[in-house]
Amino acid sequence: MTRANKEKLTDIMVILVWVAGLIILWEIGATIIAQTKRTPANVLPHLSQIIESVFSDKMVSNKQTAWQIVISNAGITLWRAGLGFLIGVLTGFLLALFMRYFKAVEKTAFPYLMMIQMIPILGMAPIVLAITKDINKSRIMIAAILTFYPVATNTLAGLKSVEKEKLDLMHSLAASNWHIYTKLLLPSCVPYLFTGLKIAAPMAITASILVDTLQGSGGLGTMLSQSLKHAISIYVFWQIVFVSAFIGILSYKLMSVIEKLYSPHEKAKAAKS
Amino acid sequence: MQTAETEIRIKGLCVTFPDKDGGEDIHALTDVNLDIKQGEFISLLGPSGCGKTTLLRSIADLQRPTSGIISVKGRSPHEIRLSQKYGIVFQSPVLYDWRTVRRNICMPMEVIGLPKKERTRRVDAMLELVGLTKFGKKYPHQLSGGMQQRVGIARALALDPEILLMDEPFSALDEFTKEKLHMDLLDIWKKTNKTILFVTHNIQESVFLSDRIVVLSPHPGRVSAVVDADIPRPRNLDCKGTAEFSALVNKVRNSFEGV
Repeated sequence: MTRANKEKLTDIMVILVWVAGLIILWEIGATIIAQTKRTPANVLPHLSQIIESVFSDKMVSNKQTAWQIVISNAGITLWRAGLGFLIGVLTGFLLALFMRYFKAVEKTAFPYLMMIQMIPILGMAPIVLAITKDINKSRIMIAAILTFYPVATNTLAGLKSVEKEKLDLMHSLAASNWHIYTKLLLPSCVPYLFTGLKIAAPMAITASILVDTLQGSGGLGTMLSQSLKHAISIYVFWQIVFVSAFIGILSYKLMSVIEKLYSPHEKAKAAKS
Repeated sequence: MQTAETEIRIKGLCVTFPDKDGGEDIHALTDVNLDIKQGEFISLLGPSGCGKTTLLRSIADLQRPTSGIISVKGRSPHEIRLSQKYGIVFQSPVLYDWRTVRRNICMPMEVIGLPKKERTRRVDAMLELVGLTKFGKKYPHQLSGGMQQRVGIARALALDPEILLMDEPFSALDEFTKEKLHMDLLDIWKKTNKTILFVTHNIQESVFLSDRIVVLSPHPGRVSAVVDADIPRPRNLDCKGTAEFSALVNKVRNSFEGV
């Protein structure tokens, strides 16, 4: 067995130990809750009950099973989060380019970017809703705002991290600005950009779910609050907890995969170590 | 062997930097006068702070002189830079880690827009010149420090520049790799007949490689001597043991002022 394979196996073992540990803790908790509370499903149901609810064909509302509700609403949430994410990535990236190219833009815009980031989304969401007067638009906007900051700052850091000698080399070749950007600055900032994307992707999804809870018109967050108010089965809530965690991790993984596809030298580096 | 034609002429060159803490200006270079012939191997030798890199950067048009004149082939360094007649090698290899060795060497040719066929031909020739033919498809981090520096040299030569500017290119390498690259560089120089300006702080290195050694002293940065290194060529590593070599090293060492 090669060393790389051995390391991979160790990684998998570590994950398995974690998952097993969490399951055991959860089940111990669920057993205690089942003996002491009147409605244990509201506090901490057994994992088996949650899994059972996924496969149950009992209609819980509107001729849909609990799982069908979760999946259809997950689609709505993901679509908005994705759209907001794309808008945020695009504007963040472009602003970073502007800030690199025009020092004045950086000086003017950067402090305010920090301030936007400091406002909690729970506070920002109602304001955005009041401005846009549309829950769909505000979902997309909040996801975009949250994506925008990590993408802009990381890309800018990447653009600024280019060594002076690399720029000197370009100047010694009398390279045009176009070539300096396309051949040097943009490729240099790719790893930084992906760091930003990996932070932003799960955040966009979280934001989208949170904004859902403000007003009921579909989406995981809406179903979450309805389920908690017992308008529909409480198991919808538990399923959403797991599904949204899964989507969040998946969005992060997706960014990692795209990054690997985009940077073959990193793959060569990983194979070597 | 060498033509007497003057390639680079420097007259009364001064470079002054304003002090960041608001003190007196820093005189990086004062009144430098130097003529360099076509095909010459010139070392710019001195301790840190003597302005040797500043001199190189001024010739490369990466640093604006405060006063004085530099002319290269009768033209300004700016014109020479815009016509891509300079090849530069830095202390670190400055390779693009997302590009393979081949594509690193290719980069300058992409910038000036050479057709793909010509690029491939030249990359092959360059790889052969620096002895890295088998490593074209590797990424920089898969190579040793010495190999990376050779890629840097290949890239600098890819546009067939008239003047090769080297800024302490071997100072980060171990002694064995350095000696190997010294021999390689002399070989490349002989094959290509470039004018080479070689910045270094290593006396032995400068004596071994150069035709002439420009000795620079600091505070203020100035040329304190120009020493002819007239050891016969071709040189090999054995010549470092000769009395002639030691005498030259001593002569150069004694020509420093105020270190």
